[in-house]
Amino acid sequence: MSDGAALSTLSVDELRRRLTEAEDTLRAIREGEADAVVVRSEDEDTVFALAGGQDSYRAIMEAMDIGAVALDEQERVLYANAAFCTLLGCGPGALQRDGLFTRLSSASTAIVRETIAQARNGRHQTQFVEAYDGGERHLMVTAAPLPLAFGTGCALTFSDVTARVKAAAAEESERIGQAVIASANEAVVVCDPTGLIINANAALASIIEGDPIGRRFEEALRLSFPIGSAVMHPDDLVMMACEGTAIKGLEASAPFADPPKDLLVSVAPLRLSGETIGGCVVTLIDMSERKAVEKRQMLLMHELDHRVKNTLTMVLSICGRTLAGSSGLEDFRERFTRRIQALAATHNLLADASWAGIDLTALIRSELAPYLSPTGPRLELSRLDRPVTPDVAIAFGLVIHELSTNAVKYGALSRETGCVSVSGRPLPDALYEITWTESGGPPVSIPTRHGFGQTLITRSLARGGGTGATVEFAPGGVVCRMVIPIQAD
Amino acid sequence: MDKPTELTLYIAGQTPKSVAAIRNLERICAEHLDANFVVKVVDLKENPKLAREHNIVAIPTLVRQLPVPIQKIIGDLSDTEKVLVHLQLGDAA
Repeated sequence: MSDGAALSTLSVDELRRRLTEAEDTLRAIREGEADAVVVRSEDEDTVFALAGGQDSYRAIMEAMDIGAVALDEQERVLYANAAFCTLLGCGPGALQRDGLFTRLSSASTAIVRETIAQARNGRHQTQFVEAYDGGERHLMVTAAPLPLAFGTGCALTFSDVTARVKAAAAEESERIGQAVIASANEAVVVCDPTGLIINANAALASIIEGDPIGRRFEEALRLSFPIGSAVMHPDDLVMMACEGTAIKGLEASAPFADPPKDLLVSVAPLRLSGETIGGCVVTLIDMSERKAVEKRQMLLMHELDHRVKNTLTMVLSICGRTLAGSSGLEDFRERFTRRIQALAATHNLLADASWAGIDLTALIRSELAPYLSPTGPRLELSRLDRPVTPDVAIAFGLVIHELSTNAVKYGALSRETGCVSVSGRPLPDALYEITWTESGGPPVSIPTRHGFGQTLITRSLARGGGTGATVEFAPGGVVCRMVIPIQAD
Repeated sequence: MDKPTELTLYIAGQTPKSVAAIRNLERICAEHLDANFVVKVVDLKENPKLAREHNIVAIPTLVRQLPVPIQKIIGDLSDTEKVLVHLQLGDAA
């Protein structure tokens, strides 16, 4: 074309054809249909790439796994890469024709639009869940402003993070599972389908020593089951669970434990995803303490039964003897009521001490408290802080009641200047002597009648081996010596 | 037997439109042309002087050499209808 002489020889038609061709070439370059041109010179021809940067960029976008889409200000799709089209299941043409939001649910549309709105102040990211193919998928949308020649659009990228979310959930679930096992109070053992222990918590250390991981269940825990139990051997536990059977609350013993333990054993299949059984989970609850409590409760029941019977016998005896020594019904009512009240007071003290025995000081103070006052008769106690068994306490309480009643009626407690002194002295063979001495009361005369009170005092403490009581009606005041068995320190 | 249709596609290495033009031409040939054609691909990046034979300026360009007269179309050939009509190929011939 550069040769003007050559051009002059061409026909008009050829010139027109060349002109049309040159115009087509220019239009193609202008409209972006060509991305390279050949530039001629005298020496050599050279090929130049046109708009190579943008096309390279687009080539990268097309190669990306992440879905990318560019929108203008009116939400029209300017560009969508292959990954985005795959994500939405439609072609780029359909996207440009129908728009992005016709392809998203109303909930997803709202989220993406909100993300775009937030991105006006800078890049913004939102994760959301979308119904997909009968299930759901987790998408991460990132929006960033996109400067355009005719305004500011939005660049969006979409990533399907379902696998990552599920992996995180599975990891969290695994972590929670481990934490549950670790924090359980009961011993928990997890076995694989072949019976090998693959996990166990710290509570198992109270049953077996050493690391159980990798050992066979029946070797690590040689449990014994009672005859007639659904399971006869530890092997059976694992086998039944791995076949899908759960067993709850089997009693078993662990003679190998130190000390030997009574256990309550449960086993359940370890169901993995897809309901496949990946082994079993065995829980072992230490019942030794509960068994001991049950045994103690049974003993207490028997003890209670025995004491109620004794008490009823004693009440009947007090009733009969009080009736025999009473001058009338009113006299009987008063004496009987007071004796039963004394018995009840001792019972109260014993109940407060869980029937484990009480000391003599508490018994005496409880009985004499109603008769003492700062200005009235005095009570002096010494060396009485010794415990006695419940049976002795009941009898001793009744004796003190009788002595107090006598003292209030005829002795030291009938005068404001009176004084009752009670002192203790240890004797051989776990015996204890208690001396009740009255002083400051009216002169004492020996009673003419031997009433129930005196009988009770002299007899109720007599249990053989030197125990018992004697009463001396000394002129200065009554002196009572009691010898009772004492609890060892 | 008619002379085969001779097509020459001028490209410039691996530019996106050159790559797209090769793929689109392969598709057009497979879907719209009978077996009686010859296609030659000329990479001007390898040898720019070859552009002179058909006076090529813009790349990619597809040239129909035979049958005469010579016809040209510039672009990545993604518009199949336009290619077939312009070069009078296949169903449009």
